[in-house]
Amino acid sequence: MEQVKCYMPQTLQEALEIRNETHATILAGGSDLMVSKSMGAGITPAFSGPVMLIAGVKELKGIRALPDGSVEIGALTTSAEISRSELVHPLLRDAASRMGAIALRNSATIGGNIGNASPKGDMPQPLILLDAMVVLKSIDSERTIKVDDYILGSKKTALSDNEIITKVILPPQNFTHIFFRKIGMRRANAISKLTLSAAAVVKDGIVVDFRASSGAAGPKVARSRAAEEMLIGKTLQELPEVKDAFLDAWNNVISPHAMPEYRRNSTRRMLAYFIDALAAGHPEGRVD
Amino acid sequence: MSVTKIGDRVKRVDAVQKARGEAKYVCDMTFDDMQYAYMVRSTVPRGKILNIHLPELPEGYYFISAKDIPAKNELWMIAKDWRCFAEDYVLYVGETIGLVVGPDRGVLKDLKSKIVIDYEEQIPAVSIDDGINCVGGPMFPEKNSNVMCELFCEKGKPMDEVFAEADEVFEETITTPYQEHVHLETNSAIATYEDGKFVFYASAQCPFYIRKSIAGLLDIPYGDIIIRQATTGGAFGGKEHFPDVLCGALLVAENVIRKPIKMVFDREEDTQFSVKRHPSKCIYKTAIKDGKITGVYGHIYYNCGAYLSSSYVVLQRGVFHANGVYTFPNTYLKGEGIGTNTFPTCAFRGFGAPQTLFAIETHMDHIARHLGVDPLDFKKQYLCKQGDETTTNGHIIEEVKLPEMLDVITKESDYYRKVKEYTPGCGKGIGIAIYNHGGAFTGNGEQAIIKAHSRLVKKGDRVTILVGSTEMGQGFKTSLRKICAATLGISIDDVDYPDPDTSKVVDSGPTAASRSTMIVGKLVERAAQQMKERWDEGDFDVEVEYEHPEGYPWDQATFRGDAYLGYGWGVACVEVEVDKLTNEVKTTGIWSSHEIGKAIDELIVHGQINGGIIQSLGYGSMEKLENRKGFFRQKSMSDYVIPTSMDFPKQFYHIQENPYPWGPYGAKGMGELVFNGASAAFVDAVERAFNTKFNSIPIPPEDIEEALKNVQ
Amino acid sequence: MYNDVRFKLNGKDMIYTGDPLRRLLDVLREDYSLTGSKEGCGEGECGACSIVKDGELVTSCIIPVGAVNGCELLTIEGIRDTEKGKCIIDAYAEGGAVQCGFCIPGMVMATYCLLNKNPNPSEEEIRVGISGNICRCTGYDLIVECIRLAAEKGASIWNK
Repeated sequence: MEQVKCYMPQTLQEALEIRNETHATILAGGSDLMVSKSMGAGITPAFSGPVMLIAGVKELKGIRALPDGSVEIGALTTSAEISRSELVHPLLRDAASRMGAIALRNSATIGGNIGNASPKGDMPQPLILLDAMVVLKSIDSERTIKVDDYILGSKKTALSDNEIITKVILPPQNFTHIFFRKIGMRRANAISKLTLSAAAVVKDGIVVDFRASSGAAGPKVARSRAAEEMLIGKTLQELPEVKDAFLDAWNNVISPHAMPEYRRNSTRRMLAYFIDALAAGHPEGRVD
Repeated sequence: MSVTKIGDRVKRVDAVQKARGEAKYVCDMTFDDMQYAYMVRSTVPRGKILNIHLPELPEGYYFISAKDIPAKNELWMIAKDWRCFAEDYVLYVGETIGLVVGPDRGVLKDLKSKIVIDYEEQIPAVSIDDGINCVGGPMFPEKNSNVMCELFCEKGKPMDEVFAEADEVFEETITTPYQEHVHLETNSAIATYEDGKFVFYASAQCPFYIRKSIAGLLDIPYGDIIIRQATTGGAFGGKEHFPDVLCGALLVAENVIRKPIKMVFDREEDTQFSVKRHPSKCIYKTAIKDGKITGVYGHIYYNCGAYLSSSYVVLQRGVFHANGVYTFPNTYLKGEGIGTNTFPTCAFRGFGAPQTLFAIETHMDHIARHLGVDPLDFKKQYLCKQGDETTTNGHIIEEVKLPEMLDVITKESDYYRKVKEYTPGCGKGIGIAIYNHGGAFTGNGEQAIIKAHSRLVKKGDRVTILVGSTEMGQGFKTSLRKICAATLGISIDDVDYPDPDTSKVVDSGPTAASRSTMIVGKLVERAAQQMKERWDEGDFDVEVEYEHPEGYPWDQATFRGDAYLGYGWGVACVEVEVDKLTNEVKTTGIWSSHEIGKAIDELIVHGQINGGIIQSLGYGSMEKLENRKGFFRQKSMSDYVIPTSMDFPKQFYHIQENPYPWGPYGAKGMGELVFNGASAAFVDAVERAFNTKFNSIPIPPEDIEEALKNVQ
Repeated sequence: MYNDVRFKLNGKDMIYTGDPLRRLLDVLREDYSLTGSKEGCGEGECGACSIVKDGELVTSCIIPVGAVNGCELLTIEGIRDTEKGKCIIDAYAEGGAVQCGFCIPGMVMATYCLLNKNPNPSEEEIRVGISGNICRCTGYDLIVECIRLAAEKGASIWNK
C-alpha cells in the first residue's frame, strides 16, 4: 500500500506552484473523488498520484457581483451557498438546491462539479444555458472559456495539468421566462435522471432570445444554438407553427444512447409546455 | 417506581442510548489484536472453479477456504444445501469462495484484488422464466428441472369445471421485483475464541439459528459456540438466516487463527451480495359468472436463487396468502420455487405474503374495472368472515373486523367523494388495498418445530427476562418488558432484558414471522403470572414452554387445516397526483387501519405502521433492483434508492382492537402485516390517475411511460 | 512526513499527524473512538455519518481529514450533553423517533443544524432539513413530530 503525496496549500499562489510542479489531482469538497476512490471503511482512499486538498484556499470562496452585471462565483463555493445567494441566477440556484443531500450540498463545490465533468453533475446544465464562463489559472497564465467549451465529454475537460479552476462567471441575463425541472429517482437526495432548463426573452410579442439545455442527457449537457434559432425572432403567434420542427430538432440534439424513450418524450413534453405557455402570453417569470 | 400498565405511554428503553450514539453495534466493537476479514467471492454466475491463484501472503495473513473445514461444508438453515465456501463450482455471483484474514484492511483489500480465480463459465439461469426453462441446463439434474420446492392447495370443485361453467375467465400475469432490505447497519459479525469456546458478536435476528447452522462445519456441540447479539441496526428479515453465512465463514477462520476477527460489509457489498426479497410471477385465472367470481386459479413462481435458505417456507406463506382477504367458493393455488444462478433470496418483512397480496389486490382491481364497478365495492362482496373455509380447508377462527376498518378509512380519506370527483385519467387518483398476515409459524409449526421457551429470573425486586428473542429496532425490548412488568404489577424499570447470549438464555425461537409479541410475549405473560403467585418466595426462576391450543388441526404434509390461528388485518388507502409532463407521481395522502388484536405499546405500533407502509410504498414506486446476466445492476444507496422524508406525506393511522385469545393482553403479530398492502393501494391510485394498468412494480416514471404506450 | 492537520473537535484543539487523505469518519471512529457517527453507505447518501463542520451539516465519510484543517467540528459526542443536544435526544425518546437507531445520531445532528438555523420549522421545513438522512425503520413521521417537539419544548434554547 503506497502512500501518495498529499498537499494542503493555504494560498492560491501555493496551489498553483504545486499544481505546476506535481500535476496533483485537485480535491475540493471530496463528494465525487472520495467516493470514486474509496476502498471501504477504515482504508485510505486509493489515489494513483499526488493529491492537493484545496479546501484551505480562501481566495477561491465566495460570490461577488461585478460592475458589468456579471456574477463571479469562486470555485470552492458550495452548492448550498449558491442555492442561497440572491446574486445567482435562479436556474443555477434551482440546480444547486436540488443537488444530492443537504449535507452533500454543504461539501460539494461548483469547481468540483464542473471540474469532474461527470454526466450526472447538476450544475453544468444551467451554466451552459446561461453561457457561463470558467476561469482557468496556471502559474503563468489565465484564460476564460465557456463552460460549454470546457467540458469536452464524459469526465473529459479542457483543463491542462498545470491549471486550476479559480472561478465561474455568469454573464448578466434578462430572461422574461424561465423553466427548470429535475427528475430524480426520488423527490430529494437524488441523482438526476433528467434535467431541463429553458429560458426566453419575449419583447413586444417577439421571441428575442430562446435557450434550452438538457442535463443527464448523454456524455455532456445538450444544447443547440441552431435549434434555438428556429424560435428566435418569431412572434408569439408564429410559435405554434414552428414548435414541432423545433421539438424534432431538439430530439436530434439529445444523445440517442443516453436517452431512452421516456427521457426523450418527457423532454419533448416539457419543452412543448414551455413554448405553449409563451405562445399563450404567460406572464413574465417562472413557467414551471 | 410506579407500576407499569399496558396502556401506559412509555419511553423506549433503548432510545436514549441509541440517540446519544452510545449503543454498540458490531462495527463499533474492537478487541485487542483484532483481525479483519473480507470475503473472496465468485465473479461469475455459474461455472467450474479451475484454479485459485493466490499472491504470496505476508506473515499473519491467511486465505481461508473450503480446505479449512474439518467437517461438513454446509450451513444448516432449513435444508443443508448452502455451502459455507464454494469449492469446485460456483452457483452465483458473490458466492463465498474464501476469506482473506489479517491485521491491516488496506493490505487485505490489496491481497484480495490479487487473487485470480480461473473458471470454466456456464450459461446461467437468471430470471424465473430462465429457471422454468432450465436455461444452461437443469440445476437439479436428478429432477431434470430447476424447481426447488412446490406445493398446492385446493378448495371446492375442480377448476376445469368452474372454468367450463363461467361466462368468462379473466387471466393475467403480475410480477413483483427483488427488494433489498437496506437495514442502515450492514451485515457484520466478530468471531473470538474465549475460554475454549467460539464466541460471536453478531448483528442478527436469530442467535440460536446461527449456532445450529454453523456447528456442523467443525462438528462440535452447540454449547461450544456462543452467539451474543450486538445492537442490531435494522434487519427486516435480512438478518434471519444470512448471519449464518458470515458466522460460518468466520468460524472456520477462527478455528485456524484463534484471534478476534471482524467482518463488516461495506454498503456496496451488502447491496450486491446479501439475500433479497423473492421476485415473483403470479398467473391468475379467475372465473366470472353473472358478474361474480366463482373461482380463482393461481400459479405462483418465486425466484429462490441458488440455495433454498428459507424459500420453501416463504413460498408456502405466499401461496396461503394468494387469495387475499377473500372467500371464493373454489380455488386452486399452486406454488413453485425456482432455482436460478442468482444470490439466494430469503426472508424479508412479509415473508412471501407481500408478493401474492400485491398480485391478488391488483388482479381484483383489474377485474372490477373490467366489469365497470368500483374496485372497493367489488372487493367488499368477497371479504372473508369468521367461520369461512380457507384455501387450505381450515377456517377463519376470529371475527373479521374489515368492514368496520373500511368504514373508518373511507370516511377519513373521503374515498367515495374522491372516487367520483377524480375521473379516470384526470391526473389525480385514490386507491385502496385490503390485506392480512397470518401470525407466527404456519400451522402447528410453533409446537412441532419451534417449541419456544421463556425464562424469568427474580432476584430481590428485580426480574430478568432470559429469552433468545432480539431487538432489531422493532421495539421488542420495550414491549416485552412492558408485558412482564404489567403482569407482575411492577415498574418496567425493574425488569431487565439483556441482549441474548445463547449460553445464558433459553431458546424462544427466531425473531421472525411476527411471532415475538404474540408467542414469546404470551410465554412471558404466563411466566410472569406464575411468578406473581409465588412472588414472596424470594429469588427463583420460572420457565415455561409453548402450548398449542387444542382443536386446530394442521397437516404439514398436505398443507391442509388451519394455517394460522390468527391473522392481522389491514386496510391502506393512498391518494396521488401525477405530473403528466414527466410522469412523476406525488403521494398526497396515506390512510391505514390495522387490526392487531391489541397494541401492547401504541407508540411502537405507530412507528411500525409508518415504517412498514413507507417500505411498501418504496417497493411499489421506486425501489428497482434488476439482475442482468447474474449481476445486480444497482450497487449502492445512490442507485438503489429508498424513500426519504420528502417522498411521502404524514400518515393517518388507525388501530382496530379485537383481542386475540392466545396472545398477551389480546395482542397479535403486526411487524409484517403493515408492509403487506400499501404498494397495491399506491398502484391502484396511479392506475386511476393515468387511466392505465400496471402488471408489475415498481412503477418509476419510465415504467409509467411504457404502460401508457401500451394503452394507446 | 505529513502536514499537521489542526482542527477543533467537540471544543478541543486537535493536531492530527497521519495521512490527510483518510476519511474523516474513519479518523473520528478509529483514532478518537467517537463511534456515535456511523457508516451507512460510504458515499454521502445516507447521512448516518453526519457531523457539523463550521456550523454546517456534512457527511464525514466523503471528507478527507486534511480538508478540515482550521475547522470546528461537532459530533454527536460533542452535543449530547449540551442543553440543545439533550433537548433533541429527550424529544426523540419521548416521541418514539428511535427504532434500530443506526441513523439516529446523524439524524440528531441534522436536527441540531436545522433548529439552530430555524428554531420554529414547519413540517415541510423539517422534512427538507432531514431529507439527507435516510431512515429505513420509521417512515419519518415520528421523527418529524419529535423535531417539532424539540422545537416547542426547547423554544427558549433555540431562540437564544
